[in-house]
Amino acid sequence: MSEVSLERVTKRFDSTVAVNDVSIDIDDGEVMGIVGPSGCGKTTALRLVAGFETPTDGTIRYDGDDVTHVPPENRNVGLVFQSYALFNNMSVLKNVTFGPKMHGVGKEERRERAHELLELLDIEELADRNPKTLSGGQQQRVGLARALAIEPHILLLDEPMTGLDAKLKQTLRQELGQLLDDLGVTTLYVTHDQEQAMSMCDRIAVMNEGHLEQIGTPAEIYEEPANEFVAGFIGTANLLDGTVRDGTLSLGFEDVDTPEAVASNGAVTVLVRPDDIPVGSGPIDVEVTNLFYQGEHIQATGELPDGRELTLRLDRSETAVGIGDTISIDFDPESLHIIESTR
Amino acid sequence: MAADQVSTGTRAVESVRTTVGSLVSPASERQREIRRIVALCLPFSVLLLFSGVFPLTEMFRISFSESRLVTEGFTVEYYRAMVTDPYYRNIAFNTLWFAAATTVTSIAVAVPVAHALEKYALPAKSVILTVLSFPNSLPGIVAAFMIIILFGNTGILSNVFAFLSGQSRIDVAIATSVGGLFFAYIYSMIPRALLLLRGTYAEVNTDAEEAARVLGATPLQTFRYVTLPQIKPGLIGASILVFRTGLAIFGTVLILKGLLVWTLQIDRELAQGFNIAQASAMATVWFVFVFGFTVLMLRYTSAEVSI
Repeated sequence: MSEVSLERVTKRFDSTVAVNDVSIDIDDGEVMGIVGPSGCGKTTALRLVAGFETPTDGTIRYDGDDVTHVPPENRNVGLVFQSYALFNNMSVLKNVTFGPKMHGVGKEERRERAHELLELLDIEELADRNPKTLSGGQQQRVGLARALAIEPHILLLDEPMTGLDAKLKQTLRQELGQLLDDLGVTTLYVTHDQEQAMSMCDRIAVMNEGHLEQIGTPAEIYEEPANEFVAGFIGTANLLDGTVRDGTLSLGFEDVDTPEAVASNGAVTVLVRPDDIPVGSGPIDVEVTNLFYQGEHIQATGELPDGRELTLRLDRSETAVGIGDTISIDFDPESLHIIESTR
Repeated sequence: MAADQVSTGTRAVESVRTTVGSLVSPASERQREIRRIVALCLPFSVLLLFSGVFPLTEMFRISFSESRLVTEGFTVEYYRAMVTDPYYRNIAFNTLWFAAATTVTSIAVAVPVAHALEKYALPAKSVILTVLSFPNSLPGIVAAFMIIILFGNTGILSNVFAFLSGQSRIDVAIATSVGGLFFAYIYSMIPRALLLLRGTYAEVNTDAEEAARVLGATPLQTFRYVTLPQIKPGLIGASILVFRTGLAIFGTVLILKGLLVWTLQIDRELAQGFNIAQASAMATVWFVFVFGFTVLMLRYTSAEVSI
């Protein structure tokens, strides 16, 4: 395992800047997630680390060594694809022994290593099967075993659970998280699914339009987003315009004490998560405009007294609430987060 | 017995009547589908019958005729000649090795070109593709003429080789040799192979190739272990196509000579020997061989090459 770093990396494709001056340090044994919407540059970043793309500017290092211009076959990288990308002309066992074979590992040793990994991933009985005959979940495990078989410097996971059903995704997420913890393998996990990233990664890098918007632990990203984009992309966010004056935050319909130190007076954007808004009592009346039953809770949208929209989270017990009803809410200053000045 | 025959006949008539009835007034979606298929294939079926099946049948019948010019009697003499006469055996051998050699060479040249075209971003790709596909529509006679211009007694390259080697131009001219014929033929075969191979390359799983690379495989190893097995149907399809076309060589060989092959001999039997029966027997053998070869090859592959 090793430390991997991207130092001020930029990748341009003609006039398109896919990755723009991005720096990320991944510690030894750390699971780093890259999240962002489609086209944000996360897959390009992964391909740069793998060696399939060469940066236009910047440096990529493994354990301090510059690998920017090293071809993929000499980087010792394990890559698990969204499409599984298994070799359908080989058995599962041969898929897993392929990497060690290319690295010159002897036949007995590579078979032994493959069987150990298949056992670890609970797919030992599939060793002689053709990958085409396996389910999506099984194929994904084979892909993981194949990637780990070369004992990689870094494991790259490119949307590995896309295409799996929700239940299987949840199971695999837990198993994969546990496995990465146990093996201590340095991992770069690329996904558009922020929930997966939050639950599996030690730290998360949020990308948008090629830029790195924020990097931090899942809690930091969720609780203290650096800007409106991060706040909106990670979890559900209510972003309200307000004004700070002499320690008081005015939201137009309600004044509260400023929740944190604000350098100067003026206009600000305030983040408040739906699950931080107490519903049922409080000074602010909200008219319910929509209700979405989501199983574990009910998501409601409501209209504030000044006409702005707010997302709320209701307990399942609140089934009596209907569209058009008025409910009371409160804002706890501690749960408000000023994320950026708007001017 | 007679009652059985009547019953069988009645059932056959009834079956035909039902089939025609379902085509005229289909009652189910399946019958409507069949009607559409019949309508779509009818023009070609008629063409096949009158320009394919009927001439082939007639040719087959003539090949057993005792007379060389008219169809009468029955003999297998012309078939026996092809087996026992060293002259015909030699022509068959020439035809087969030439077709095999052009096949192997064309595929060997076409695979790297297809790989380059499909795997890499090339500048002016559409221009390259146009140039590469041009020989597809080149008549064999024109290809032969181009070889004469290059390698004939007064050819450009013959002059260059003569100057470099100090030999006479006539000594180094290869246009009318087997080599000249070979060059002329693979020139028009490579684009055909390329056409099929490019289609196969488009379906290659590039993620699997990238997986091989990160697992430590060099580009050559990646080709050997991952790409080659995936393009196998295309390779077989291209081999069938080129080999069959190689067996049918005529225009080029008519001009360049170089090698006496099956089709050229058929022409000689017709034009010089006026031996229609022998020509028919040779054409029948050619047809059966090509048909059988294609069926046999397709049995072991999913290559999409029609018979």
